[in-house]
Amino acid sequence: MDYAQPRLVDALASQYVTGTLRGRARNRFEALLPSHPGLQAAVTEWQARLMPLTGVMPEQTPAPRVWQAIEQQLWPAQAQAMPQPFWQRLGLWRALSGAALAGVVGLGVMLNNPPPTQPPVVVVLQGTGADAIGTGGHIVASFSGDGRALVTRTLTPVALTRDRVLELWSVPPQGAPRSLGLISANGATVLSRDKLPATLLKGGTAALAVSVEPPGGSPTGAPTGPVVFAGKLQL
Amino acid sequence: MMSMKTDESDWSERSRELSLLLSRAALGDRQAFAGLYERTSGHLLAVVLRIQRDRGQAEDLLQEVYVSVWKAAGSFNAARSQPLTWLTHIARNRAIDSLRRKAAQPQTESLSVDEDSDRPDPHEALADDAPGPLDLLGRASEKRELDSCMQHLSPPQRQSVALAFFDGLSHAEVAERLREPLGTVKSWVRRALITLKGCLERAAVRDAGSNPGGVA
Repeated sequence: MDYAQPRLVDALASQYVTGTLRGRARNRFEALLPSHPGLQAAVTEWQARLMPLTGVMPEQTPAPRVWQAIEQQLWPAQAQAMPQPFWQRLGLWRALSGAALAGVVGLGVMLNNPPPTQPPVVVVLQGTGADAIGTGGHIVASFSGDGRALVTRTLTPVALTRDRVLELWSVPPQGAPRSLGLISANGATVLSRDKLPATLLKGGTAALAVSVEPPGGSPTGAPTGPVVFAGKLQL
Repeated sequence: MMSMKTDESDWSERSRELSLLLSRAALGDRQAFAGLYERTSGHLLAVVLRIQRDRGQAEDLLQEVYVSVWKAAGSFNAARSQPLTWLTHIARNRAIDSLRRKAAQPQTESLSVDEDSDRPDPHEALADDAPGPLDLLGRASEKRELDSCMQHLSPPQRQSVALAFFDGLSHAEVAERLREPLGTVKSWVRRALITLKGCLERAAVRDAGSNPGGVA
């Protein structure tokens, strides 16, 4: 089939979303989907057209066992524990990051030029394991002592597909993460002074996190991709 | 017109809330994920249950759906999709896939009427307490531009689309149900979708004309 024909693409997408594309045709279509932006766009449009039809169905409350089974499947060890956002679990990594921290403080100091009036603050962001992208890797973020300039550096290049970028977030003690900007996946990035919030080091940041985002950064103002690196700020 | 605007602002408010919960879930926030489940599981189970009529199996599917949602939350793109649309698509896909798996297992009960069985046809068993696909279509149309667009469809076109979309029937199953040739049913569904698309696009253009600010 010629998937370059817009009409055919649209017809297939409509049948796929309606559910009448079945069997091998459906398998083939789903296999092509990830690498075919035209198909993806047509599917997204048909979803937007047809899914509102489902809005009128009377809701059906699932049995309590369903949520219990979901928790058990996703978090088998801690299914009974209270759910916690990731930045509250950063303590677990503190011990791990100690060793890496010792090795990179010197680097952090070198990156701060001219020398700041106060000692720089260095945060080591570790791969969270949320995605293969960050696993085993580290990113070092160093603030100048006055908190107005920030340099990030990947210790090893981060393997990203071409249509993805890394975005750095300041995670406050309370409330939603705040974007600090996009950072390089390979080497150093200097984040310009005027884009950093004034409260960055004055209690405004409990942790730093790096998420994977579409080009140009998160379209929502909140991280939309997996958080692949994170590190707690310790002053 | 006023009531439609209210519906839409409620809806976009809900969309914002769900987008936020999804993005927090993508950060590993389980409380946000639990909130997302609380707000959407009733809807997704309703969607799955129309396609997979066995409640136990439908709930098993719902579990699979939310496990996928947790894992894929990072790939949700709020700029491109509404969160409920994205979630509903995942749920429908799972349900339709489960029918495919079922079709591959000959020992499993068929959805078609079994002449030799005393058991009622699962669709008829449900007919007493659940609205039919055409009822749903009627109600859906009350809310949105779909209303007038649905009027552009012929009754058999409407019925074919409703059976396929709400109940997850294949072309062949729709044909069997309506006792019409397969080719006729395929053509009804195809034409219905083309008509709907054209009509909704014209409505969107009109909407954009009367509301220059638009809704992102």
